[in-house]
Amino acid sequence: MTIAEVQPLSKLKPARDDGARLGFRLTLPAQLLVLFIAVFPLLMQLYISLTDWSPLSGASWPQAWQFWNSFANYSDLISDNRLWSALGRTLFIIAICVPIEFLLGLGLATLFVDDFPGKRVAYSILIAPMMVVPAVAGYMFFMLFQSGGPVNDILSWFTPDPVAIAWLSDRHLALVAVMVTDIWQWTPLMFLILLAGLVGVPSDQLKAAALLGASPWQRFRTIVIPRMKTIIIIALAIRVIECFKIFDTLFIMTGGGPGVATETISVYIYKVTTNDLIWGYVAAIALAILIVLSIGAVWAMKRLAR
Amino acid sequence: MSAIKLEHLVKRFGAFTALKTMDLSITDGEFMALLGPSGCGKSTTMNIIAGMETPTEGRILFGDRDMTGVPMGRRGVGFVFQNFAIFTHMTVRRNLDYGLRMTGRPTAEIARRTNAMAELLGLTALLDRPAQGLSVNILQRLAIGRSAVMEPAIFLLDEPLSNVDAAFRAVMRTELKSLQRQFRQTMVYVTHDQLEAMTMADRIAVMDHGVLQQVGTPLEVYNTPANTFVARFIGSPGMNLFTGKLTQTDAGLAVDLGPLGISPPLAPATASAAKRANGDVVYGFRPEEVTLAQPGEPALALPLNLTERIGARTILHLGTPQAEVRAVFQSGTAIPAGILRLAPAPAAVRLFDAGSGAALQVA
Amino acid sequence: MAEIAFRNVSKRFGSTQAVNNASFTIADNEFFCLFGPPLSGKSTVLRLILGLDTPDEGEVLIDGQVVNHIGPAARNIAMVFQNLALFPHMTAEHNIRFPLVERREPEARIRARVADAAAKLHIAHILHKHPGQLSGGERQRVAIARALVRDPAAYLMDDPISALDARLREEARVELKRMQREAGRTLVYVTHDQEEAMSVADRMAILELGAIRQIGTPDALYDHPGSAYVARLLGAPVMNILPVGANVITAPKRPGAAHLGLRPEDLTVTPDPAATATVTGVEPLGGYTVLTIAAGGEVLRAMLRGQPAFATGTPVSLSAAPARLHFFGPDGTRLAG
Repeated sequence: MTIAEVQPLSKLKPARDDGARLGFRLTLPAQLLVLFIAVFPLLMQLYISLTDWSPLSGASWPQAWQFWNSFANYSDLISDNRLWSALGRTLFIIAICVPIEFLLGLGLATLFVDDFPGKRVAYSILIAPMMVVPAVAGYMFFMLFQSGGPVNDILSWFTPDPVAIAWLSDRHLALVAVMVTDIWQWTPLMFLILLAGLVGVPSDQLKAAALLGASPWQRFRTIVIPRMKTIIIIALAIRVIECFKIFDTLFIMTGGGPGVATETISVYIYKVTTNDLIWGYVAAIALAILIVLSIGAVWAMKRLAR
Repeated sequence: MSAIKLEHLVKRFGAFTALKTMDLSITDGEFMALLGPSGCGKSTTMNIIAGMETPTEGRILFGDRDMTGVPMGRRGVGFVFQNFAIFTHMTVRRNLDYGLRMTGRPTAEIARRTNAMAELLGLTALLDRPAQGLSVNILQRLAIGRSAVMEPAIFLLDEPLSNVDAAFRAVMRTELKSLQRQFRQTMVYVTHDQLEAMTMADRIAVMDHGVLQQVGTPLEVYNTPANTFVARFIGSPGMNLFTGKLTQTDAGLAVDLGPLGISPPLAPATASAAKRANGDVVYGFRPEEVTLAQPGEPALALPLNLTERIGARTILHLGTPQAEVRAVFQSGTAIPAGILRLAPAPAAVRLFDAGSGAALQVA
Repeated sequence: MAEIAFRNVSKRFGSTQAVNNASFTIADNEFFCLFGPPLSGKSTVLRLILGLDTPDEGEVLIDGQVVNHIGPAARNIAMVFQNLALFPHMTAEHNIRFPLVERREPEARIRARVADAAAKLHIAHILHKHPGQLSGGERQRVAIARALVRDPAAYLMDDPISALDARLREEARVELKRMQREAGRTLVYVTHDQEEAMSVADRMAILELGAIRQIGTPDALYDHPGSAYVARLLGAPVMNILPVGANVITAPKRPGAAHLGLRPEDLTVTPDPAATATVTGVEPLGGYTVLTIAAGGEVLRAMLRGQPAFATGTPVSLSAAPARLHFFGPDGTRLAG
């Protein structure tokens, strides 16, 4: 049978439709439950974001309509400077961390395409950081970055005078420490996804390219990367969306400090929620971010579909 | 400069020996076919010539230069894969000019050579189409063109016509042959189809289980096979081979073929070759080299089981399940039913040593 | 018991006419071959027989009964796939029993049928083995036994041996022919290899772009092709087709003929220093030799028995017996006589 003659499965007559309809009816309770869990909190949030309600107000949340202020929260957040600084800081972290994670992950993945002795052990070691609970990672790096801690000790090997940098108390270095931690924890994820993509590149095409005179770099550029386009987009999309929400590790290391030096958007929302207790405002911020991220995700999906 | 020499090549993959001491010389501009069944080591040999594998022992030379350690991108060979390995994420043009682009040729030259090759292979109309989804026949031409445009001195093809339908195969064979003549390249062609090898090759290297069985022109391997493997593998169908004991008859030396009876007497030259046998011999004759015996003429009496008429040739299947004989006659020859009396042409009978399978050469 | 017939069947897929007004009848117990180049509709015809597709027009009949709207399971036609699709975790015997077990046949009947199929195909001695332990040929027999054990009206095969080495293909087609004879069932067989089709078929249908061009025994189709298309499809090397005016060989005049067809084996080639035709290529194939000859602006191939010594450049004269010539009209149809 030549390739050209095979009819696609889609041309086969479908089995009777009852199967699909019955399935729908049987899973209806589960569907409703999932809908409830996903949609109800969103609606609740929307409702509250249009009010000036706070738990201190004395009323319970269903009565938040008493404090109705329509879109005042939304216009407030647009003029909230602290919010925008937090947002800027978050975007800055994404812009530095994600590319580094991507390039490191890609580099490591290329090393793992072929077999080598001890590959499985090396693989387990490489994956390990991803398995660490983010809060625990936060504590780890908190200790590592202390003035008298291991990071400074190691740096002291390379300098004449002992190094005693106060990483977590310095406005700029705290951000660096936080980014190092994020890179440490999430490069393995990029590594995993990109390795899967790399392994999917047909080796025959790589051989053919080599025989036509392409150097390893040329093969990488003209064959490997183009064929990995979809996987790369997925990896970057996943990582950007997750990095946007960065919280656990960062909060434990610095608490958002010193001052607001490492205050990302999640830290800001947390602070407003727990310190200022203006939950109406918080709901508005959260919903706004949800909308922005959703638009980003849809854009990534559209590019995928190409 | 594009002669190839394989010196004592051995290739082992762990415990498995794919090639056992292969020595082969391919002359400049020759069309050499590596022929053998699946698993005989022909593709491994090709991969070593291309540089995709390194030999466990032995050397490979292009002309006088030792290429054994040279990486595969620097050997200046063209290679066509069995499944074509077309860059499906690029257009036809980008596939064709890939090698030229990667080696940094000037833009004008790239365009000129690509267009000329496309013209030669009938791909001009498809140049800007994505390679994805094109028919197998077009992809095959593209695979050949992509390598040919680099004008390599040595062109390696690994079963390039096995994925292509039978009618197109005949067309492509002629095209490949004229391409080789035109560019005067040394072409090494791997195939399992002996007819393909006979049609296209200047010389054929027959291989089995990693060992080179015989190298020769198509007529040499057909007329004087070096052993029973070559005798059976070449020819459609292959040579009929039966083990038997030499026996003296009134009419001369013959072979006792057991259930098939006594063979007709051997020709004098064959008889003298038989004297050098150490025991049993294998009696061989090609299906095309038999005639229907006249009454009284010594012959083999065989029952007719099946007739395959294939156009100009009719293949008869005779004998018993233990001893099958095939004969080929021109279609239209009157074939009697029942028992046929077949006389193999004495000059065409070949004898082989029953133990080693080696041909007992006529001195 | 199982005559399969198509009456004016047509089938479209989107804008492609896959089968175009096809009509034929396959007799009981026949080895019937569907032959044609790729995309000529052979696999679609098979699917229509099986019931995986329904015709847009026309009727599919099995045993005189219109089966257009009867599903594959009810049609009692078995299919042997190219990759055989044997269950690797079951023994050969369990593989063969499977269709009957699925249908809840009584155990006694299952055993009898399995034994019958195994005897017919000479596989009784390997029934206890798993497919992984069997040779390719044995696996194919098990797959056919599994198809036969349902006692189908007919069984179908779509290009089952094209993936094998050339030498194995030659042996496999003889095996298939024998098996069909012993099994005693109609076999509808698709192939694109003309040698294979000519070897195995009792009768064959030649397809072109979904239409049936000619049906007949291989001999009849080879000796009396109905059109230049059929003539070129069967036989290797391909039949030489020359325009009637070309001055290549002496041929009787034929009113209405536009082209002259001559099979390579019917061309007689004699060295002749005075001739204008020359040998441009010599392919020694052992049992026969193919010469490429340039004559009168045309290129011809001749097939000569044995190994006559011809060198490139030899001037030759060409002739052929008038009875072996084929004449074709301007539309490609062969003129009778």
